[in-house]
Amino acid sequence: MIAKTITAEELGALVADLVSAGTRVIAPARAADGKVDYRAITRFEEAAIGAELPRRSLKEFFLPPTEPLFSWHQGKGDVTVKPVAVSFPPHVVLGARPCDAAAVEILDRVMGWDYRDELWFGRREATTIVSVACPGVDGSCFCTATGGGPDSKRGSDLMMVPVDGGYLVEAVTPKGQAFVGAHAARFVDAADAGTTAAAEAFRTGVRSRVAEHLTLSLPALRRWLEGSFDHELWRAIVLRCHGCGACASVCPTCHCFDIVDEPEGVRAGTRRRNWDTCQTARFTVHASGHNPRADQNARFRQRVLHKFSIYPGRFGEVLCTGCGRCARACPGGMDLPEVLKTITALVGTGASREAAV
Amino acid sequence: MKELQELARTLLSSGTVKVVFGWEEGPRGARPAFITDAANAGRLVFDHRCSHTLATYLSPRRPHMTRLGKAAIVVKGCDARAVAGLLREAQVKREDVVIIGVRCGGVAADPADAGPLTAENVAERCPGCTAREPHLADHMVGETKPEPPGAPTRDARIAELDAMSAPERWAFWQAELARCIRCNACREVCPMCFCERCVADKTQPQWLESSPHPRGNFAWHVTRALHQAGRCADCGECARACPAGIPLGLLNRKIAGIVADRFDYRATDDPSVPAPIGAFSVSDRQEFIL
Repeated sequence: MIAKTITAEELGALVADLVSAGTRVIAPARAADGKVDYRAITRFEEAAIGAELPRRSLKEFFLPPTEPLFSWHQGKGDVTVKPVAVSFPPHVVLGARPCDAAAVEILDRVMGWDYRDELWFGRREATTIVSVACPGVDGSCFCTATGGGPDSKRGSDLMMVPVDGGYLVEAVTPKGQAFVGAHAARFVDAADAGTTAAAEAFRTGVRSRVAEHLTLSLPALRRWLEGSFDHELWRAIVLRCHGCGACASVCPTCHCFDIVDEPEGVRAGTRRRNWDTCQTARFTVHASGHNPRADQNARFRQRVLHKFSIYPGRFGEVLCTGCGRCARACPGGMDLPEVLKTITALVGTGASREAAV
Repeated sequence: MKELQELARTLLSSGTVKVVFGWEEGPRGARPAFITDAANAGRLVFDHRCSHTLATYLSPRRPHMTRLGKAAIVVKGCDARAVAGLLREAQVKREDVVIIGVRCGGVAADPADAGPLTAENVAERCPGCTAREPHLADHMVGETKPEPPGAPTRDARIAELDAMSAPERWAFWQAELARCIRCNACREVCPMCFCERCVADKTQPQWLESSPHPRGNFAWHVTRALHQAGRCADCGECARACPAGIPLGLLNRKIAGIVADRFDYRATDDPSVPAPIGAFSVSDRQEFIL
């Protein structure tokens, strides 16, 4: 572990170094409408680190909302298939939220599971993630309940903790260590005991504040979900859900995609993959017209099951980092932390299969 | 509030309706509530955080809603226009819904906004609203509220866009629509997007590309805006739901202005006024026919 500090001024100079070396720097920054998005910056002054949570997560930099897989062209008696590049120029994400960084590592499991997704891992390898310990967003945060935390280092190559005048920096991975090594002049050696203590107090303070929002027993939650497919709860809580999928689009871990062929003229076209979501009726409709998830109750249940039962069943961890974006984005007022709290109360009373209808 | 809760309790306990669509206190401000038990009528609230349009939940293509049985719905003036749209287009029968009108003083853009209502946080449709008391209502509750705070209106924004050159306007919409990720939230929350099968979901042939690239995004948003011409209730749900923050209301509002100009039709909560798409008049302007 390397612990260093960097001043805000030197961090600005580091961004300038990176940009002039041709590295794409992604950071939370204000959009035209004043909201914060992760986007490419060319100057450190554009970054809004530690401001509000970016509207969308980091996943789009590894799994873009739409991306070409290959294109084809039909000639006389043959078809030429042109693959896409699977190597990418270097990227640095500066000021990632720990919940977003953790999500990327959680998704590595599924992206490298039955086959290795070259596009995902191509971008992963080209990207260094520098997170900043989170000051907490609002009452919808529940990262600590999912096994993470506002200062979790998971998925980060480097973790910064804000201190007076700059950041305490810890290299988490070999990639992070190499990054510090390559830009050694911008960092100074570990801070004095007072600064380190202040950083520690910041971390534990936020952590205990967020922990008050929700406590989950993930194994008990999973057991309940596995035994409660037909529970009345799904009928009762889903009424306000529009099935719009805004939750999935802002979710750092929802990763389902659709594959489409788009003709470009008569003899050419592109195969693309686009974000998709289990919250829409179309997601599961069969060619026959039959839809095994006939209504929104079944679709919402699927989202909860995938995150807290199916994914842990296959990969040993939940598919949620507790960022709370789904609750914030929902136009109908659905609230995942509230649903998890409700289920936890049912687990407590043993009301799983018995209460099923 | 008491008046609303009392009315809901009476409607439910008398068996007049099986469910009351209203708003309740949620973890993040006000949110839609569906009260089926008279004992829970006390959960209903109405204040400036009740931004949502509940008319969308009357859609006949939501089996998990329709099986609840006959509904009463709480409507603001703007929401009443959406209910009128559903009645006008034969999606809901008048005798199948009890309409509870509430007098409105404007709502916040974000239902989690504790207020007070200011020019900064008010929903964009509210300043200058002329429909603060619904006419389409079986029951009216609440007292007249003060006018919503004044704020720059969408019409002023549209005038700015109209004043741009075509390339500037193109650049504006390019930048806005580039953020679209085609989640379809705008469509799903729209009370007037009730098609059993949306043209955007058809694949044989694929009329609209589903990819969130500029070509697909323009095709989708232009199609949706045109399908809303003379139909949009101006409830603001599409823009509120958009997780990318695209000002979709500007598109619909612009078209509403054109419809008003050419067909003398404005979104209304009187379901007997035919929408221009479903009516023919010999006085319709037709100078475009060669």
